[in-house]
Amino acid sequence: METLKNLWTSIGTGYDLSNSIFSPDGRNFQVEYASKAVENAGTSVGIRCKDGIVLATEKIITSKLLAPGKNKRIQTIDRHVGVVYSGLIPDGRHFVNRGRDEAKSFKSLYKEPIGVPGLIDRLGYYVQAYTCYNSVRPFGINAIIGGVDDDGAHLYMVEPSGTYWGYYGTATGKGRQTAKSELEKLDLPNITAKDAVKEAARIIYLAHEDNKDKDFELEVTWVSKSETGGVHEFVPHDLLQEAIKYAEEEGEEGESSDDEMQD
Amino acid sequence: MNHDPFQWGKPLDSVYGPYNAKIAHATNKRTTNIKDVSDFPTMHTQQPMITGTSVISVRYQDGVVLAADNMGAYGSLMKLDDVERIVKVGKDTIVGISGDISDMQHLHRILDDLVVEDRYDMESDHLKANHVHEYLTRVLYNRRTKMDPLWNACIVAGFDEQGEVFLKYVDLLGVTYTSPALATGFGAHLAIPLLRKKADTDEDVKNLTKEDAVQLVKDCMKVLFYRDARSLDKYTLCVVEKSTKQIEIQKDVKCEDMKWGFAKDISGYGLPQL
Amino acid sequence: MDSISVDVGQLKKGEVNLGTSIMAVKFKDGVILGADSRTTTGSYIANRVTDKLTQIHDKIWCCRSGSAADTQAVADMVKYHLELYKSNNGRPPTTKIAASLFQEMCYANKEMLTAGIICAGYDEKTGGEVYSIPLGGSLHKHNYTIAGSGSAFIYGYCKKNFKQNMTKDETVSFVKTSLSQAIRWDGSSGGVIRMVVLTKEGIERLIFYPHEYIDA
Repeated sequence: METLKNLWTSIGTGYDLSNSIFSPDGRNFQVEYASKAVENAGTSVGIRCKDGIVLATEKIITSKLLAPGKNKRIQTIDRHVGVVYSGLIPDGRHFVNRGRDEAKSFKSLYKEPIGVPGLIDRLGYYVQAYTCYNSVRPFGINAIIGGVDDDGAHLYMVEPSGTYWGYYGTATGKGRQTAKSELEKLDLPNITAKDAVKEAARIIYLAHEDNKDKDFELEVTWVSKSETGGVHEFVPHDLLQEAIKYAEEEGEEGESSDDEMQD
Repeated sequence: MNHDPFQWGKPLDSVYGPYNAKIAHATNKRTTNIKDVSDFPTMHTQQPMITGTSVISVRYQDGVVLAADNMGAYGSLMKLDDVERIVKVGKDTIVGISGDISDMQHLHRILDDLVVEDRYDMESDHLKANHVHEYLTRVLYNRRTKMDPLWNACIVAGFDEQGEVFLKYVDLLGVTYTSPALATGFGAHLAIPLLRKKADTDEDVKNLTKEDAVQLVKDCMKVLFYRDARSLDKYTLCVVEKSTKQIEIQKDVKCEDMKWGFAKDISGYGLPQL
Repeated sequence: MDSISVDVGQLKKGEVNLGTSIMAVKFKDGVILGADSRTTTGSYIANRVTDKLTQIHDKIWCCRSGSAADTQAVADMVKYHLELYKSNNGRPPTTKIAASLFQEMCYANKEMLTAGIICAGYDEKTGGEVYSIPLGGSLHKHNYTIAGSGSAFIYGYCKKNFKQNMTKDETVSFVKTSLSQAIRWDGSSGGVIRMVVLTKEGIERLIFYPHEYIDA
């Protein structure tokens, strides 16, 4: 709340107009505004499970004319790396393209797929550069990047400032608080990939409560040594349906137990 | 075209006369009497170093059989015996590559990049055999136009968008053609006549069973081992099958039923001798 | 021919060449690289105690054959790239990455180089690994490999005598005998036999003088 008040009082002081100028108390307002673009977007979740990662997103349906199941939101950088992001979609597309270029340039020199930490390093550097010049604006996305390489599974989240951290589980977008508190309850390092898919679905459904007035579609992908041979793929149709069923059932149980508490 | 790997890309003097270096104002100290590739004007890839010999293939009623041995020869030195020259590209394509091995590995890498790009949307595989073939043709033609050819001849086999069986040749000049029986290198001389005995026309193809086609290709690989001094009796054999939509790859197949026994009845070189 | 227009072809011909016998062999605990020590310009021995075994990272080494100038330049570039890789990625490069870098340099510049390289190394994950990058710039993985002008004489010996999972002593004697025969039959190979043993324990250098290997 405190930061929000600070934000408001600083608007119109001129220090929020450019990337390349700090405010007197050492903040880059353009970066903070970029985070605002993320905070109201559909929720995205990433889980690092036993031998892989699961990415899921709450795809907000903005028009009834959009074909169900099309307009995919989760993307691939290289065979073994996937990305999901919340925020400005075109910014995310550009970010992913950069990731693909980095993966390609690594492979053209070393003749093997880029390691996930190495990729994140390059992408973090790229995002950060967009906070330094007054001719550009920062990326309006939080991107969750996950993949499997020789050293195992990795999950990271990159923020508009260029900051990135490694996670067992993370969430971004409107329902992030709900999602994060649910993730904390899980035994993430030891969960199987299949269970992680179901939990990710449940969490997205739960987080949708924060965005109830809008329709949404669930999208889930995974990379796992045992399930996909280390390749980033959409989860199979049957598993997705099973996960949705699980999510809906859990959601109902949650509601009824709330009712009991009220009684 | 001359299929000797060391002469590839060179128009035959007997047909076209010696190369005229004055073409396109190409400067060269010795404009007459050009004997080998190094006397050509700007030309980057001078000659293949480590080479793979023939790739052979034939259509049958339900698909294609394709084979290539595992030899990597350095001149006449039989240097490597474990070179895999048939590469799978995505789900629906195989490519058999003969010629320079370093260029073959380069083709492997750019074809793998193509597969990665095809899988970016994580939907079904869009990349079909006809696309791979067209892409290879463009790459090879582009490089020959820069006078820096990739020293290879390839046979692409697999399925197209309609699920039909695809089989086509492309070489270092960007030349392509198709036929019920295709072969590169020495195979173009030795295997093609044998393959055409069983699969000359589309009508023949309809009557050729998988078992017969596999046996035919195995026999050709045996003849090539008998007569190609850069070949090996260990090879990879692939079957593209339309009815099952599968591409079966058998590695380390050995030449079988070779006949050498008649050698004992041969003595001397003309007049009778003990 | 004047001082301005230098005939590069002639210059190349006068170059110092590593007419050589080199090899690398994988064994139970790691890998051993071996080389002779003769460097020639034509039939003159420019250096009789050359060290052809070059360190490009902690436990990744290479043997060079072909033009001394070309292979030294390539080895220096790969060394630079591996150092960069380590600081960029926070982990040491694998032998395969080193070999791939050699391959990239040799393939991209194949018109200008005369370089035949063996790259071998040890790391905890994969154990000993041996790669060869012959003249055209292709890359091949082996259990053992031989290269250089002297290698032509020992293809048969090595094929028949190499065994998988040898002990260190067996491997040293295999390399010593192989190279001594290459030196015996190849005029461009000679001098001492140098070896480098890369294992979990570390890096060990060995040297064998003519009187020691002549009857090996």
